This record gives sequence, C-alpha cells and structure tokens, in this order.
Amino acid sequence: METEVVVASSPTDAGISCWDLHTGPSTSATSRVPPLPTALSLSLAAFLPPPKSESPSHRLRLGPSSIGPGARFDAFVFIVLGPQVEVRSFPAEPIKPLVSNSRGTYIAGGGVSGDIYFWEVATGKLLKKWHAHYRAVSCLVFNDDESLLISGAEDGSVRVWSLFLIFDDARREEMKHLFEYSFHEHSLRVTDVKTGYGGSNAIIVSASEDRTCKVWSLSKGKILRNVVFPSIIDAISLDPGEHVFYAGGRDGKIYIAGLNSPVTSNNNYGLHIVGALSEHSKGVTCLASSADGFLLVSGSEDGMIRVWDTRTRNIIRVFRHTKGPVNNVLVIRQPKYINPRTSATSLSSAPRRQGLTLPPPLEKFANSPDENPYVKVLIGPETLPNQLLDSPYISVQTMEAQIKELQQQGSSAAADVDVERLKSEQLRSVQMIQQWKKMYENLHQFCVSELLEGSQTESANGQNL
Amino acid sequence: MSSSEGMYDVALKPKLLRSLLREYVPDEKHPFSNPSELLYVVSTVKTQKLLSEWAPLPLEQDLVDAWKSAVDSWVHRLLTLASSLPPVVSHLLKAASCASLSDMFTRLSGFSNAKKDGTSQATRIIQPALKLLNEDSSAVVLEEAVCLLCTVINFFPLSVHRHYDSKAIQALKHISHWQVEAAIVSKLMSGKCCADVLKKLGYVLSLLPKSRGDEDSWSLMMDKILLCLNSQLNDAFQGLEEEVRSTQTLRALLPPGKDSPPPLGGLASEQTSDLSTRKPERLLGSRISTLMQCCCNLLTSSYPVMVPVPVSGLIALVSRVLMVDGSLPPSSYSFMTTLKQEFICSEIPLLQLHGLEILAAVVQGLRSQLLPHVAAIVQLLKEYLRRCKFPDLKIKAYVIMKVLLMSMGIGIAIHISQDIVSNVFMDLDFLGGEKDEKSSGLHTKAQMGLSSESRLKKRKHSSLASSLQEQPVQDGLEVEKLHSTPISVKIAALEAVEALLTVGGSMRSESWRANVDHLLITVATNACKGGWSKEERSIFLSGDCTPTWADFQLASLRALLASLLSPGRLRPSHLALGLELFRRGMQETGTKLAEYCGHALLALEVLIHPRALPLLDLHSSTNEYNVPGPKIRDTVYASGDRQISTYQAGPGDPESEDDDLYENWHGNDDYLETRVTESQQNAHYSEKYPATATDPSLDELPFVKGPSLNHTTKEGEVLVSVSGRNDNRMVDTDDYMVESPRSRNTQDQIADKALDTAIDGCAAVQSGKNALEGVDLEPASQKIALVENDVMVKSNVISELHGGMASTSEQQVTGTKDNGVTTIVKRISATLSNTDRSKELMFESDNELSSDFPDIVDGDPDSD
Repeated sequence: METEVVVASSPTDAGISCWDLHTGPSTSATSRVPPLPTALSLSLAAFLPPPKSESPSHRLRLGPSSIGPGARFDAFVFIVLGPQVEVRSFPAEPIKPLVSNSRGTYIAGGGVSGDIYFWEVATGKLLKKWHAHYRAVSCLVFNDDESLLISGAEDGSVRVWSLFLIFDDARREEMKHLFEYSFHEHSLRVTDVKTGYGGSNAIIVSASEDRTCKVWSLSKGKILRNVVFPSIIDAISLDPGEHVFYAGGRDGKIYIAGLNSPVTSNNNYGLHIVGALSEHSKGVTCLASSADGFLLVSGSEDGMIRVWDTRTRNIIRVFRHTKGPVNNVLVIRQPKYINPRTSATSLSSAPRRQGLTLPPPLEKFANSPDENPYVKVLIGPETLPNQLLDSPYISVQTMEAQIKELQQQGSSAAADVDVERLKSEQLRSVQMIQQWKKMYENLHQFCVSELLEGSQTESANGQNL
Repeated sequence: MSSSEGMYDVALKPKLLRSLLREYVPDEKHPFSNPSELLYVVSTVKTQKLLSEWAPLPLEQDLVDAWKSAVDSWVHRLLTLASSLPPVVSHLLKAASCASLSDMFTRLSGFSNAKKDGTSQATRIIQPALKLLNEDSSAVVLEEAVCLLCTVINFFPLSVHRHYDSKAIQALKHISHWQVEAAIVSKLMSGKCCADVLKKLGYVLSLLPKSRGDEDSWSLMMDKILLCLNSQLNDAFQGLEEEVRSTQTLRALLPPGKDSPPPLGGLASEQTSDLSTRKPERLLGSRISTLMQCCCNLLTSSYPVMVPVPVSGLIALVSRVLMVDGSLPPSSYSFMTTLKQEFICSEIPLLQLHGLEILAAVVQGLRSQLLPHVAAIVQLLKEYLRRCKFPDLKIKAYVIMKVLLMSMGIGIAIHISQDIVSNVFMDLDFLGGEKDEKSSGLHTKAQMGLSSESRLKKRKHSSLASSLQEQPVQDGLEVEKLHSTPISVKIAALEAVEALLTVGGSMRSESWRANVDHLLITVATNACKGGWSKEERSIFLSGDCTPTWADFQLASLRALLASLLSPGRLRPSHLALGLELFRRGMQETGTKLAEYCGHALLALEVLIHPRALPLLDLHSSTNEYNVPGPKIRDTVYASGDRQISTYQAGPGDPESEDDDLYENWHGNDDYLETRVTESQQNAHYSEKYPATATDPSLDELPFVKGPSLNHTTKEGEVLVSVSGRNDNRMVDTDDYMVESPRSRNTQDQIADKALDTAIDGCAAVQSGKNALEGVDLEPASQKIALVENDVMVKSNVISELHGGMASTSEQQVTGTKDNGVTTIVKRISATLSNTDRSKELMFESDNELSSDFPDIVDGDPDSD
C-alpha cells in the first residue's frame, strides 16, 4: 500500500511541512521529509497573497524540501531530493502558478504578464513561451493525459492549450489562434481550475472571484453548469469519482457541489450545493483529495490544515503548519519502492548516479527548436523487473541446438567418430600383428638355432662315440 | 514412506541420475550413441531437476550423500568425455563452453556477495571470447561467444571497463572496451556472418556503453553509430537522392560546435575493404540494417542514467531513409548502373522497415518527453503513409501512429485525426455499401487469397526483400486481388482507428465521427458475415504469426466496440447491429473472439440499461432507478445550446456512456419546460400528446404513460419502476430529432420561455404536498412526451406562421437522414406531409389527444 503524504506550504513561512495522511499526527518539521522518488515533482503555486515584491529577478526554486530562512517566494517548485539540495531559478518575470507533469519532466509556469512558460526539467531549458492571456495567469493545470494545459487568468478567461500545437510550428501558422478553447463566461479573476478523468470527455471546473464555479465540457467546449456560491471560492477539488466537487470559500466554508450526485432537498446554500463543511475560522485557501476520494485536506488562512472524512463530513485530523496562512496543500503518493532501479542494479555508485544529481536551474529565455536537438531521458521501464527471477539461462537451448545439429549431420558426425575409432583399432591391430610376427620370428629363430646346435653336438657326440 | 510419494520422492532423483549416466551418457565403452538419446537425457535432467540438489527438511544424510556422489560422478564423467572428444566436434565443445560459462555468470550475478569474484573472473574471460570472435570460427561458436560477452557486460559491467586497470596506465584504461568494440565492428562489417549472428553482434554493441554506465559513453556510442550509418547511407543512396540530403543529415547529427567522434570500431579503413566483393549492395544493406537495429536497442534497452537522445538527428536520418523511393533523379542517371539501382531497390524496403523501427523506438523511449519533436515525426509519418505501398511498412507506420496517439493523448488526436481517418478509409477499401453483395459471393475465395497472400508477405523481416521479389508472380496469378489491401494492413488500420476513437473520439470529431462509425459497422458486419472462422493455425506454418481471417474479425469487433463506446453527440446509431454481432460472436465458445464479445457485451450493457448508482448512501432509496438525478435542480442553467437536448438515455442515468453529463443538465431544462407548459399553458398539451400518439413505437404503451403520470402525482415512488421500464423503449424515439436545426431553434425558443417562467413554474408545481416527490421521480413518459413536444411545437409554430407544411417535413427528413431515418421519423413526417395542410393535422392530433389521454389532463391539475 502506498502511503500518502500531505505537503503544505505557506507564503509567510519558508518551511514546508509533511505529514502522513492516514496515520500521521503532526510531525510538523521540515526535517522530517520522507524520501520521495526523484521523478516526482510537486508544484506549489501561490494563490495567496499576491506577490509582494514585483522584482524582476523573481526567485523560483527547484529543489529541496526546505527553503532558506527569511526568503519569501511567490512560487516555487520542489523536487524532493534530500534535505539540503536546492536550485534557484530566475525566470524573466514573477511566476505565480506552476505545474509539472506526473513524470516530472516538464514544468509549466504562468507569468504576471500573461505569458505561459514551458520548461524541460532535465536540462532547465525554456522550450516554449507564449502569450496566453491579457492579464496575469492565475492558475494552471494539466488534463489527465497531460497533453492539454488549462490556464485561468485574472482577466476571467479560461483557456485550453494543446501542447502538440504549441510545438508544431507549421501547423500553428495555419491556425487562427493558438488555444483550443477560450471560455469567457467568468467576469472576474479566475482563482482555481481543476479537471477530472475522462480524456476527451473530461470536465473542467473553474472558480472565480465572481462567486461562481463553472463546469465546462472538454469535448464540446461549452459550459455545462454554473454554480453560484455565497462567497468567493479560492480553491476547488474534484472528488476522484467526479461525484461532487468541493469548493473552499473565503467565508471559511467548504461547499460541496453536485456533479453526478444524488441531490438532497437541502437548499440552504444555493442550487447544486448539496452541503458544506465548516470549521475554519478564516478563508479556505487550498484543497486536496486523497486517492480513494474519502479524505479531503484543506488549508486555511489561519495556518491549520484539516483532514475531513467526506462520508461523515467530520474532521478527523488537524495539522498545524504556521501562524500565517497556508497557501498550498498537496497529497502525494509515495510508492513502496523508492528507487527500484537502484536496488536492482549492482552498481555501488548507483544511488549517486541515479539522476539524483540536481536538475539545472530553469532558463530565462526560450531557445529555438533547432537548439534543442537532444532530449534527456531515462530509458527503460520505471521499475525494473526482478532480474534474478527471470535471468535467462541459455545452456539447455544451446545443447538442444547442438543435438539438433548433430542429428542433421546425421550419421556423418557419428560416422566420423566411428572411423576414428576404427582407425585407431586398426592401428592397434596392426601393431599387435607386428608384435606377434616379431615374437614368432624370434621363436622361429630360436628353434632353428636350437635344432642346428643340437644336431651338431649330436653328430659330434656320435663321431666321438 | 518414500514410496508413497511416487514420482515426487526425492530419494528417486539420485537413482535416476545414476541410471541416466549408466544407460545413456556415452563413455569410453559406448562412445557416441544416438543424438536423440542425448535429447532425452537433457529433458529428463531439466524436468526432474536432477542436478539441483536439495533435501526436504528432516535431513536424511543418506539421501544427501547419495545425491552428492551421483552428481559428482556425473560431473566427472562429463569432464572425462569433454577431454577425450576428438577434434571433429571441437567447435561444439567451444560453443558449449561459452554457453555454460555464460550461464555460470548469470547465476553468479545472483549472489550479491560474489560480485567481486565474479568481476575478476569475468575480466579473465573477455580476451578468450574476443579471440573466438576474431578467429574465423563457425557461426555456432560466434553466436555463443557473443552471448557470453552480452552476459558479462550485463551482469559484470565493470569487467570490460576495468580490464587493464591493474596495469595502472591511464591511457590504457579503456583499451579492453575499445578492443571489444573493434572486434565486434570488424566482424559486423566483414559481411561474413549470417543474419542471426549479425543481430546478436548489433545487440552486444549496443550493450557496450553499459560497461561504464555513464552518460558520455552512451552518447558517444550513439553518435558513432549514427555517423557510421550516415556514411553507409551515402554509399547506398548515391545517385538516388539529392546530394544535399547527406550534408543536411550530417548537420542534424553533428550540431555546430560539436566535435565529430572517432569512427565506430576505430577502424575507418576496414569498412570499405570488402565493398569490392560480388554483391556490395547486399553487404551494405545488411550492415545498415544491423547498425539500425543497434540504434533501436540503444534507444529501448534500459540504461542506469539519463542520456541525451539526439532526437533531431535521429529524425533526420530516418527521414532520409524513408524518403528514398529508388527512382533516379534525371541528373544522376549516368552515375548509376541499372543493375545497382535494382539491387538497392531490393534493399530499400528492409532499410525503411528498420527506419520505422527506429522511429518506434524513439516514440517508445521518450514517451511524453517527445513533445517538442512530435510535430516533425507526425509530418514524416503522414508523408510516408501517403507514399508507402508495401504492407509490412504500412503496418509499422500505423503502429507508430497508434502508439503516438496513445502516448501523446487528446492534444495530438484532435489535430491528426483527419490524417488517420483518410488513410484508414483508403486501406479498408471502403466504397460505401457497394461491396456488400460482391464480398459475400467472393468471401471464401477472398479469404483464401488473403491468407495465402499475407502468408507470403508477413514473413520475417529478414526475408522481406525476397518476398517482395515474389510479389509480381503472386499478382500475376490473382489479378483481382491487386486492388485489395492485405488483411494485415487492414488490421493495423483498424487498430489505429480504434486508438483514435479511444483517445479522441468525442472532441472535435464531428467531421469524421459519423463516417467512421458507419465504416466500422460495415467492416465488422462484412467480416463476420461468412460466419466465424477458426482460430486454429496450421502446425506446418512456423511460429510466425500470420494474421488469419479470425484476427481480422477480432480487430473489426474491437474497433466497433470503441466506436460504440466512445461518446459522440448521438447515441451510437449502430448499437443494435453491434449488439447482435457481439451476441453471435459470444456463442463461439472457447475462442478469443467469444471472450472479447463477452467483454463487449458487458461494456455495452450500461448503454442499454443505464442507471445511477449512488456513490454515497445519502438517503436510503430503495430503488436504484429512482434516485433523483441532479437534473431536477438544474433550473438555473439554461443558457447555451440545445443541440442534444432531446437525446435522453433515461431519467436516472448520469453515468451512461452517452455524454451523460451534458444531457443531464439539459434534461432538467426539458423537464422544467414540461412543467411550465403543464402548469401554465394547457394548450401545449394538445400539441404534445398527439405527437406521442402518432409515434407508433409508443402506441403500445399508452396505458403505461397515463397511469404513471397519474400515480406520480399521487404516490410518488411507487410507480417509478414503471417509468424506469418505460424508458428503455422510449429511448428509441429520442435520437432522431437531435441534429435537426429546426428543432434546435424551437428548443431555444422553448428554453427562453422556460427561463422566463422557471421560477413561476417551480412555485406553481411545488405547491402541492406531494409535488416535490412527483417532480423528483420524473417519469420517463413525460420526457418522451417532451421530445415529441419539440416536434409538435415546431409544427405548431410553423402552422401558425402559415408556412408550408411539406417543406418543414422535408427539412426534418433531410436533417435526420444522416442518422439513419427510422420508421418513427418516417412515419411522423409521413403523417405530416400526408395531410399537406397543417390545420388538418392539428385537428387530427387534437382529436387523438382527447381520446387517448384523458387521464393526463385530469392528473395535471392535481399536481398543481
């Protein structure tokens, strides 16, 4: 079972806190960061408060779980590598929302000028930058297959971008506009955008300062539902089954709005709003949902993080992050195997080599596609199969092939062997024959000489007698 | 005790081993018996695991000893045999030694505490293995030596790397590495090896960077291979392409400011040495394909660190290969003999196949990170699909398209759908319904022809060139087959369109969706027309998977299911036909096809019996059908577009595949509408119910409709099941109005009205005590009535305007024709046009209303 970790950040306090969602009492310390896989990058976008200093050398961080004291950031990305590493990036303008794809290979950021930046993490290269909105981009999200980017802006528009088109220069020339859809129904700043499952049939939910949340159909490019709330909604979270969505209001309530749900006749809040969770004293700034959809994590301006059971609508855990507002919470899943490849390979230096080197800082300026002839990738499956189990042994196969060969050669090989054997036998026989012959000759010689000598002595004796 | 275990008895094993040794393993007295006996020995040892000693836990010392001694004598015998073997079989001995060494290292790598020993042992084996490579040994030995090298690099990478470390000469540090590379490359370039060995050589070359395992060695090897490939291509394509291509590719491979790497294998001179032999083109071809395979291996086999893949260079190189078509540009004719052109042309398809494989490897290896380069690949594939004629190549291109679609998602699907669709239409030989009669008659013949043809074409890649040469003969024999696409290509096309529907079937698909749906049902119907073909394959065909007719049937059904399931703007119009196909297919018990049909029926079930299962048990509803849907409360939303408002799959159906969300929202508006008309404009009834009455499919249900309306207003929940039952039948009537622009207009009008009066309507309707329940339950019949209402409102409006009735009905027919005009629409329009005068119709309808539906009128005031 994967453990789920709640990560929270605050714009006033530089620390990031992590807790175990299911078991954790608050271990509110940045030092207690559980090890996380490298490929997992998290994006923490700051919705509150708006950037305090608009200095051009805005700092964007790539790196560690801890942020140096005294520093204030409007946005940062962190890739949990270890407690001490960090990379600072200085994009061309302040970046507010940041989002990365699930493999952690790309990061998209939205600038205050309305530009969207698209970086490659491994090289830090700014692959693309395009003018997306007339005013600052306020939220960014990938769709479920990560081929579309959905952005919301302060001018109230929500736009859908196909990354394929963004990178296809030839096709882009032919198109009238770069976006796939542009929704203008919101009258004020868009505060949050979320999207659900379903590929081309997914829905997009957007929240705005005009006190509405709107539901859009991706396939039709049309508004499906408009939900009016009693308060401005700053954060939304889709129930993973897309049964309802949760909307965190500035009045401290988390409203539950129906998408597919059976609706009760409770009409206290307005149409589609089936209920509310209220415990926060101050505004709800961020929401996140657990994988099974039963737990909802909310961060508030009062610095608390609350975990709700959506079935009973009760708070089951409270974490204290800081005194200042919490501006972002994330629920991330921590796989059982931190780094399967490291444990599978025999190299002692593997952990160091395992891409645990820090990614370079994100570049400031875009370069032309011709300047990016290389793409840095980790080739191979995410998890290596256990090599010991399926190591291929080849002897049997080789033996069978050889036997087959022998059979094909058929008698010839066997005959060769036989001939060899017969030859040596013949040789031995010949030798033996010669030996016998020699012995025979020796014997014969002996006999003849014996006889001759005998007759001589006899005749000599006879003469003597 | 031991005897009870029979053949599982461990004590049996040493005995068995001894008897094997005694009876079958040759010794001095029985030198070399029948090889098939050896096969028996091998298989027995393997299945019984006679050589892997183990003992059950209550350790019996006797058993352990017996087995140990048996294994010892086995090893002893083998050693004796090996040392006494005559030189005739020495190559077998070498090969066997390599194989067993390789297995030893594989096994050694499993012991984590033996890493060091393993590495030092492996270091010692490298030189002898290289010696075997450099000698002109037989193919068997070569193969095993290469295998041994692979194993060593895979499991003990340091051994290659470290070979000369002990001498502490820094410059010599990687000599062994170079040596290995040089040995492999020279063998590879020599052209003396058979295809199998070449493949393995390419593989070991691609493994070499792993011996150091860093970014640079991978990158260096890749660059070397690509540059070598490019220069080989220069030789091969000389005269067949413009001269600039080579330099263009070179520029992509070596971006400015990058040093050119040392030549592959360190031996530039040797590469050209054999070119003067009898068939230089064949040699070039095999070299290039081996290098390309090597490139694929580099891109796909896992590597411990991140590596920079030269995507632009790879695409440029592949594009160079794919864009050569073997024709001579007019200027270069003099440089090339026709003979050479012929030879090269016979090699090109094979090269292009490998080129496509590289492309596939790039797509596979880079996954989502391909993003900045996808456009170039799509462009290349598009162009190639347009030109390509060879089935195998086309299949590969389709497969890459499919993988691209799946990995890059909806963002790419909306932009390349048109390209895929047009290609698929061409390859599926789709000429409307024209072929239907013909294909049924030709079915068996076509089937046989296709399978024999595809058998020829679907050989292994290595024999592709030869099979292409056979092609003309084939075509000559079966002239009528010239125009039909091979079955294997059709399967690939179906798979591509299936992927397209899966990924992007509903976004921006208006232009092609209806045509594709029609195509797929036609293809599937035709494929399954002649019954279900057997899946069994002839055992005389080798393991090569030639697609059979059954594979085609399966592919067509898979694509059909995707077409039915992928949400479109309409309910799938071929649902009934599809269901019938799947139902029939499922009866072919025991086949893959039946299995798939079962899955398809399960998946389609939600389309037929839609229902909303509440995620949370918020209020204890006893009937799953009567969970009041969200639509009831959606009064606010009434803006936008009415386009599919009449499309209703059922009242409680928020999770059906059919665009449920969108229509749910509309459902309320419709519903509201109804209520408004109910409460305020009684006149609308006279328009509404005649229409339902004229609908023949509803004629049989009037008794249901009446009571259900009646009861809902009184008893709420009780009769919901009735309405639930209803809507299955009602659904059929819903579809056909959908795209009619007319009805959209009128719907908009109604919607406006509904908006204006929404609040009033609410108040009015909900005044009664039971009203809310009645409203929540929302019988389907009301909705159906509403659907028809649209039509009638339309006719009403028109009649009020004294417009020509005939023209309206005409429009209606044209508007719905695309979706298949059904009897319902036909009859409605027939009724409309028959009367020829609108007023007559209206009178008639009014009459029908009053006679058929008195209850409704009665019931309505109750709810008020």
